[in-house]
Amino acid sequence: MCDHTNRNIYLPHLVTVTDIIDETPDVRTLRLVFQDEQLRGNFSFRAGQFAEYSAFGAGESTFCIASSPTRSGYIECCFRSVGRVTEELRRLEVGDTMGVRGPYGNSFPLEQFYGKNLVFVAGGIALPPLRTLIWNCLDLRDRFGDITIVYGARTEADLVYKRELAEWQERADVRLVKTVDPGGSSPSWDGQVGFVPTVLGEAAPAAENSIALVCGPPVMIKFTLPVLENLGFSDDQVYTTLENRMKCGLGKCGRCNVGNVYVCKDGPVFTARQVKGMPMEF
Amino acid sequence: MQKYLSRHNFYTLLDTLISGGIRVVAPRMTAGIPLYGPLGESVEMVLDQLPRRSAKEAFFPVCEDIMSYEKEGQQVRLTDVEPASFPETVLVGVRPCDAAAIPVLDGVFSWDYKDEFFLERRRKTTVIGLACTSADDACFCTAVGLSPADTRGSDLFLTPLADGGYLCDVCSDKGEALVADTINLFSEPGSSTPLPLAAPSVPAFDLKKVKGWLDGHFEDPLWDGTALRCVGCGACAFVCPACHCFDIVDEGTEKSGKRRKSWDACGFWKFTHHASGHNPRDKQPKRYRNRIMHKFKYYDDKFGQTLCTGCGRCVRICPVGIDIAAIVTEINGMAIECTPAGGETRS
Repeated sequence: MCDHTNRNIYLPHLVTVTDIIDETPDVRTLRLVFQDEQLRGNFSFRAGQFAEYSAFGAGESTFCIASSPTRSGYIECCFRSVGRVTEELRRLEVGDTMGVRGPYGNSFPLEQFYGKNLVFVAGGIALPPLRTLIWNCLDLRDRFGDITIVYGARTEADLVYKRELAEWQERADVRLVKTVDPGGSSPSWDGQVGFVPTVLGEAAPAAENSIALVCGPPVMIKFTLPVLENLGFSDDQVYTTLENRMKCGLGKCGRCNVGNVYVCKDGPVFTARQVKGMPMEF
Repeated sequence: MQKYLSRHNFYTLLDTLISGGIRVVAPRMTAGIPLYGPLGESVEMVLDQLPRRSAKEAFFPVCEDIMSYEKEGQQVRLTDVEPASFPETVLVGVRPCDAAAIPVLDGVFSWDYKDEFFLERRRKTTVIGLACTSADDACFCTAVGLSPADTRGSDLFLTPLADGGYLCDVCSDKGEALVADTINLFSEPGSSTPLPLAAPSVPAFDLKKVKGWLDGHFEDPLWDGTALRCVGCGACAFVCPACHCFDIVDEGTEKSGKRRKSWDACGFWKFTHHASGHNPRDKQPKRYRNRIMHKFKYYDDKFGQTLCTGCGRCVRICPVGIDIAAIVTEINGMAIECTPAGGETRS
């Protein structure tokens, strides 16, 4: 939905906060509805794209669109409160107005995944960029083969989308492997204990006719890629999203580049092969 | 097309434009330093010094409003900035290094999404360039393929003559229109000879080979060696005619305020600092490497142009004496050294 007319490309759309969900003590989901009625019906995006979210008076922050393109009428963002803008977004209440610019960037090539098994691997706050795709795929369930989700966080409290994890766990057509780091579990924890790469290796999803989608902190990605390689995944079968600091989202402001790759335009979705071709600057 | 413009008529031209309601921007003294700014009258113009900052700010201001917001209860009202309100401008006395940077910046501001703040000002601005008759030891336009008489980016281009007047080259339709509107001030070129042009002393870079070297040397001892002393002040980016990185910030109160686009610099540690605390360019040499890479490789990869016009401002202003011309000269030397025999020859 690129707008290439001569309008002000920095002007956000106004949205109303219609729902607030606390995922963890410091991670929050906001459900947002476009105030412009036409846009409410027309706003379209693809899983993997991101947006610039405004708290007027504080500024803008970059997050993925965490809801699925198959769920129309609203979008969701999910963020941890760590700075000026996110603290301000956290102060918003249901009915308040904020701003959204987007959707920006490329997306997961969903159509290329039809008929394939999907292995989602996420750590901590990095589930939202995959959650949009997970629901996208679950809403079109018969187009995909087996769906495996390996998700971990430092502690139980740090797991986001807990209600949805429970839902995925219940579903017969999803294999959920959830884990927390050693020391992060309570006595009632019903998942695995261990780091995501280790748990992924033990879960050992088959590489044949499969696509792996990996999102997490750099250290998790670093240790996950060799595990996937051992399982037989080629670099073209592995996708990830890069999350560099951005301001414009439009390929102008000059800060998100990794080498000559603009994460905001050429990404944020890349194959492992593409990432390995980049200089170590992310 | 060439015309003659006497010194007197040059000033008359500017005063005619000013009195006709056109905004005339030229180098003028501001708090003791020469900067591009709007003239009240032509005599304010200062042509014998290179302005401290470049002419890019006529198109891309240091800081500009991109919208404003007002909150009322749970509602917010946004007011757009109307690019159509930008004034018709004649930008005068622009040195070739500054003028040449303007079409280079068209690349980033017009690819894909169009930045109308830059582009509308471009459409509404006529650039009168001025040939350089003197250079200091920081000037290196000739090293990056330009010259003290390069007309790139100029609509009209003035070459100083021995009699104090100018030879005026008409370089574009916009320039032709300006001459046509004030044709009585111009005459046919006479016998007065052009003043000798400046001659910067830095030997020419082979930009293709420099880029080739950069392609393969993201990791190289050069970066630490040249940039550990960089203090990250960002001054080089702020005086540069081609640096275009910016920040977007809100300024105001809880109730109302403006969103602004402000110059930023890749030399600042916070430029790429993530909210998580992670910073992909966590050390100054990495940030300085990005500066060189962006200018001599990335921008070329993306837009086919070098993001440096050799004005030398960053060399003059750097508080720790980092000299980009010396660094690229070193890279140029290594690039030529590592070109295999029988490989490409210097063009």
